[in-house]
Amino acid sequence: MKKKRKDTSPKPIETGEVSVRHGESYWRYAWRRFRRHRLAMVAGVVLVILILGAIFAPWLSPYNYSRQNRSNMFDAPSFRVEEDQVEDKCVRPRVLWWRCGVHPFGTDDLGRDILTRVLQGGRVSLIVGFSAAFISTLLGTMIGAIAGYWGGIIDSLTSRLIEIMLSIPQLPLLLILVGLLANPEVQFGVFLTGLLGDSKSIVMIIGVIILLSWMGTARLVRGQVIALKQRDFVEAARAVGASRIRIAFRHLLPNVTSVIIVQGTLMTGEAILIESGLSFLGLGIQPPAVSWGNMLSRAQGFLYYPNGIYIAFFPGLCILLTVLCANFVGDGLRDALDPRYHGRV
Amino acid sequence: MATYLARRVLQVIPTLFVISLLLFGLLSMKPGDPIDDMRRGNPGFTQADYDRLREFYGLDKPWYVQYWRWLGRAVRGDFGVSRQFGRPAASYIFNYRFPNTVLLSGLSLLVAFCVAVPAGVISALRQHTAVDYAITVGNFIGVSIPIFWLGIMLIYIFAVYFRGVLPAGGMVTPGVTGTWPMFVDRLRHLLLPVAALSSLQLAQWTRFMRSSMLETIQLDFVVTARSKGISERKVIFKHALKNAILPLITLVGLNVPLLFSGAILTETVFNWPGMGRAIFDAILVNDFNVAMVSLMFISLLVLAFNLLADVAYALIDPRIRYE
Repeated sequence: MKKKRKDTSPKPIETGEVSVRHGESYWRYAWRRFRRHRLAMVAGVVLVILILGAIFAPWLSPYNYSRQNRSNMFDAPSFRVEEDQVEDKCVRPRVLWWRCGVHPFGTDDLGRDILTRVLQGGRVSLIVGFSAAFISTLLGTMIGAIAGYWGGIIDSLTSRLIEIMLSIPQLPLLLILVGLLANPEVQFGVFLTGLLGDSKSIVMIIGVIILLSWMGTARLVRGQVIALKQRDFVEAARAVGASRIRIAFRHLLPNVTSVIIVQGTLMTGEAILIESGLSFLGLGIQPPAVSWGNMLSRAQGFLYYPNGIYIAFFPGLCILLTVLCANFVGDGLRDALDPRYHGRV
Repeated sequence: MATYLARRVLQVIPTLFVISLLLFGLLSMKPGDPIDDMRRGNPGFTQADYDRLREFYGLDKPWYVQYWRWLGRAVRGDFGVSRQFGRPAASYIFNYRFPNTVLLSGLSLLVAFCVAVPAGVISALRQHTAVDYAITVGNFIGVSIPIFWLGIMLIYIFAVYFRGVLPAGGMVTPGVTGTWPMFVDRLRHLLLPVAALSSLQLAQWTRFMRSSMLETIQLDFVVTARSKGISERKVIFKHALKNAILPLITLVGLNVPLLFSGAILTETVFNWPGMGRAIFDAILVNDFNVAMVSLMFISLLVLAFNLLADVAYALIDPRIRYE
């Protein structure tokens, strides 16, 4: 939980070495500031590579991610072609220099190629991460803006709700919800299965993460909106007769955009971590679908096998890399979008 | 102060009520009841037995009636019997699980705090140096690493690769006797889980301490202290650190309950018989009373520590006023 102390005293705007050029828009200026943040730029590039890898996963590998090969289990990572590998185990003979029979990350306990599975698992993990973060941030923003702007009973009810949601231990609540939805005897879960089929566990995880993660954003936006509400430009808008909705969405929200963008970016990492934790416990993404988290769920049992460590190592490394990059980008964005924040955290 | 405190304490009660209602409702939505399980294992079980037992346990009533009954007993301290173990749920949690969690989480907390404070201070005092960058990147990694994966990697390194330098899990080695060997054995079992569990808080607190320290050393009173000719060491440790550490203490207070419930993953990886694991198992096998008592206890902890953090902060920092 991050706690940003509100400072009421006006601080001199510290712009670092990048200063605003004449006539330059806020976003152009922010982009120039962001580019200066070297770590964030590198992280952004890595993130893009990971996303591209996930998008093109089915075409990047000579293997099928679920195809088992009992004659080649627990293979160590290597770029050597296993001569005993039969060509028909592959979907295609080679992709660039990745030839059929090569296992750059090794193979798992069922002889499946780990790199192929990591690429495929990235699809699910990233989809869950991005969509959960996006919707949760959107939801949190709306709730926070409404509570902060309307005030009164709506605000106190919302604040209570947020407090309650934050007091219930998160992970157990997630477990209860996921357990309920996955149960074949629960009506709503059955309904979802009928609606979504195999992708049910993915949609379910996204939904559950959203349900339990909007509070932070809501709190943040509420605070910002309350602070902004007192400012003169809002008073001016009210004086010319702008409606409440117009003021909230036209005048207040654009001023919170930067905060929301940063929050959304950090949320992505958070969502990926939650997904991996749930899947690790066996309650998240269900096989045959593959995610980084559920690749890890059985991995601990193979630690004592020769080469068994690679089953756990690579998916976890991908989670770490993705979340790390998301956090770096979020930090860079915060520096870029809010010049006052520079170098303080 | 007294009225403020009284109001805050009174606010906890309705909040707890709503939480318990929510949790109870969710838990009782899960199909299957314990009588079904009894029937499955017993061929001589008749429908009459089934109905009688359901009525006896109140399971034939709608969930809100059951809730009302549960609440009535709970306020008197009776949290029912565990379906898994056949002993009172509360005593099972508090006698067998809670102490283990306190040991693991408490030690993690201590380690995280004792490392985070100096690390944050060094990072702030050496801002924009290699040390600062290393600590900052370390913080990012600590926040981003999946705890369970870190745990698995630690197990691999210490228990598998180095052939059992440290145990892979559990709490005790069977057959170890004597006070001193048992103490060492317990410590060896604690090392890896504590390292894994403390990583997240360690990173967050270091980051927080760094920014707090950076803010403080710019303040006027620090400049004054320096200009009076007080030694740099004294300025930092007596004047700046004392003020910079205040907000961290609030944050630590707010994080304490997280360590109790958030340990599910660590406890699972290291096979540590604590609260988190107990909650997880109770939810999986539908052990209603155990799940309820532990979840309510943790929620109460969260609320209590929130309150405590607010009050402590107000007490330490006289600038904060009550409405």
